[in-house]
Amino acid sequence: MNRTDIIVVGAGPAGMSAAIEAAKRGAHVTVFDENSRPGGQLFKQIHKFFGSKEHHAKIRGFVIGEELMEEAARLGVDVRLDSTVIGLYQDKEVVVREGEEVSHHKADAIVIATGAAENMVTFEGWTLPGVIGAGAAQTMMNLHGVRPGERVLMLGTGNVGLVVSYQLKQAGCDVVALVDAAPRVGGYGVHAAKVARTGVPFYLSHTIKRAEGTDHVTGVTIAQVDSHFQFVPGTEKHFDVDTICVAVGLSPMSQLFKMDGCKVVDDRKKGGQVPVVDDLGETSTPGIFAAGDVSGIEEASSAMIEGRIAGLAAAEYLGFIDKDEMDKAVVANDAALDGLRQGMFAPKNRGKLVTTTEEGIPVSQSLLEHGYVADDEIARFPGVTRRVGIHPVIECTQNIPCNPCQDACPKHCIKVGDHITQLPAVEANSACIGCGMCVASCPGQAIFLVDEKDEEGFADVTLPYEFLPVPAKGERGVALGRDGSPVCEAEVVSVRQTRAFDHTALLTMRVPADMAMRARFFRAGSAGAAANETSAAAATAAAE
Amino acid sequence: MGTRFDEHPILGTTERGRLVSFTYDGKTLQGYEGEPVAVALSAAGVKVHRYTAKRHEPRGIFCAIGRCTDCVMVVDGVPNVRTCMTPLVEGMRVQTQYGATATPFDDIVTADEKGGTR
Amino acid sequence: MKEICDRTRDLGPFEPKPGDDQIVCRCEEVTQGEIRRAVHDGLFTIAEIRRYLRCGMGLCQGQTCSRLVKGIVARELGVSPDELEPASSRAPMRPIEMSVFAKEAERDER
Repeated sequence: MNRTDIIVVGAGPAGMSAAIEAAKRGAHVTVFDENSRPGGQLFKQIHKFFGSKEHHAKIRGFVIGEELMEEAARLGVDVRLDSTVIGLYQDKEVVVREGEEVSHHKADAIVIATGAAENMVTFEGWTLPGVIGAGAAQTMMNLHGVRPGERVLMLGTGNVGLVVSYQLKQAGCDVVALVDAAPRVGGYGVHAAKVARTGVPFYLSHTIKRAEGTDHVTGVTIAQVDSHFQFVPGTEKHFDVDTICVAVGLSPMSQLFKMDGCKVVDDRKKGGQVPVVDDLGETSTPGIFAAGDVSGIEEASSAMIEGRIAGLAAAEYLGFIDKDEMDKAVVANDAALDGLRQGMFAPKNRGKLVTTTEEGIPVSQSLLEHGYVADDEIARFPGVTRRVGIHPVIECTQNIPCNPCQDACPKHCIKVGDHITQLPAVEANSACIGCGMCVASCPGQAIFLVDEKDEEGFADVTLPYEFLPVPAKGERGVALGRDGSPVCEAEVVSVRQTRAFDHTALLTMRVPADMAMRARFFRAGSAGAAANETSAAAATAAAE
Repeated sequence: MGTRFDEHPILGTTERGRLVSFTYDGKTLQGYEGEPVAVALSAAGVKVHRYTAKRHEPRGIFCAIGRCTDCVMVVDGVPNVRTCMTPLVEGMRVQTQYGATATPFDDIVTADEKGGTR
Repeated sequence: MKEICDRTRDLGPFEPKPGDDQIVCRCEEVTQGEIRRAVHDGLFTIAEIRRYLRCGMGLCQGQTCSRLVKGIVARELGVSPDELEPASSRAPMRPIEMSVFAKEAERDER
């Protein structure tokens, strides 16, 4: 039997944060994780995080993961990888499989941060090789440098489906369609918009009818569904694909709590079976805490804060700190957590249809139904203004807790305001110098610089670009609209890549003046037949 | 399926281990030491990892993080090895799993076809 | 919960449905139709169905199918999935060979 002060199950963002906080207070902490790499899903998250500075906003997930690991190592946290917790027994006894051996460990407090498992849906052919979870796609391309497939259809428009679709494109895959049985996009509009403008069509109120192929996927047929999720005859569409990616939500992996006898409830807003916990994450068993997705599905940013709180509470439970010290530290974390749980996508709003923003502006229906803000909707948002000369255009149209743009501008052109979920506004008469810091800092890639040169008859549009190859200055191609369809010819007049932009290239393309507010993406090559083959040619209606 | 890429716009150059040989159903393939067996197979174009016991249906990578157990194969003679969690080692012997063994169903004379091989 | 377990409830005759031949439990190859029929045969709890059909008892221990099975049973019973008691959780949480358990015994004797 091995003894330690605190055992943490799961080396993801929540577990590592808990371990770090407890170790800082002098506790001996052992973290077990069944994977050979720590960090949980953080190392697969290559986008910049939303939030404010205290939430690591605009830092990419895998970089946050590296920082957590370094800090834990410095504090002497014992992280045991390839170590699967196979059982949790009375009086905080943990049974672990390490390699070919089983060992017993006992702690005085336990933090369970086992995360979540992917949900699935069944359809004809869903067991065929080539039908994979979105997490599998992320693992293969972001950890191992292998594309899961060449032509992929994504089922699910929650944040996972949207983010992974974008990542598939970054890895060089062709994403032929984003499909969701729900009538509206489930994830952040900005995540949808950055996929839509590359030319990926969205099919809402559609789902997969069958995966085709004998030994592996060679195609897929989708069809429209009615309000009772029944297929509408005659609406079938076929795509030639080798991979179908499923991203239909996550469920907490809470089995260990049940094994211990902690009280567990079914909570649909939290994603499934979750332990009943108090404000500190303590379960019905004193000294056993929960943190992260296992206690309710949210983002990694909130998981880290929940982890810190659980770590503090575990340290207090064991007497490493007194209650006053814990309370003081918890208050700051509570505030940070509260900040993340605001806005249209707050856990309390899950499943609700929000039709207007906090500012009273009607939400873009096109964004919800097609993945992009329509040209005739965009002007009503406070970040979208026009004037001659260079200025930022902020196509941020939903209230989400995020404000790096405000801090990024050295000239204070952008104002989110005191409430972190407010839509960013461009200050009138501000002196934009075109530095591009706002463009690179926006986790939603929703900021553009538009330089309107009316007298000369053209406009320069600067956009964030995270694909390879990065077009060269002087390269000619096509400007795509928010919907991903070609709107005009374009020429790259500048490409900026600096350390401060953190791998987001800033591409400036020159377009006719009347396209200044429509051109939002660049594709090399001619505007001819090849330009939109993905969406047009692939979606051929299949005769039933 | 499974083309490798060496450059990524965010992650930069993909770091890989030493190039090693292993066998897949007797054929010699190459992969990078330490990467999951499933990744090496995927990059080599292998999609089917096993055929199921009852229906004899093909299965391959599904979750890629060791949860679903769909990608299990017979590795170095041991069945039910999760290839997505098992690092590739030089000389590894990887075989398609039929039910719970490496023997194709057609070759099993005595087994009751309906009941599978379990 | 009591009402759900009332075995005198009449669920009506078993009617085949589209998708009945689709696999739900990928490990044990249990179909939607088999699960629906089990409910009509009077198995109303997830635990009973698991023992009867083995869905969720294969290598992955219900990682993928437990939520799907719950949904099918709930629909058949005409209740919300939240109202169904999930199957109990037991060690080991992940597949483990008997030889590994045996190794522990050897070491503890040392």
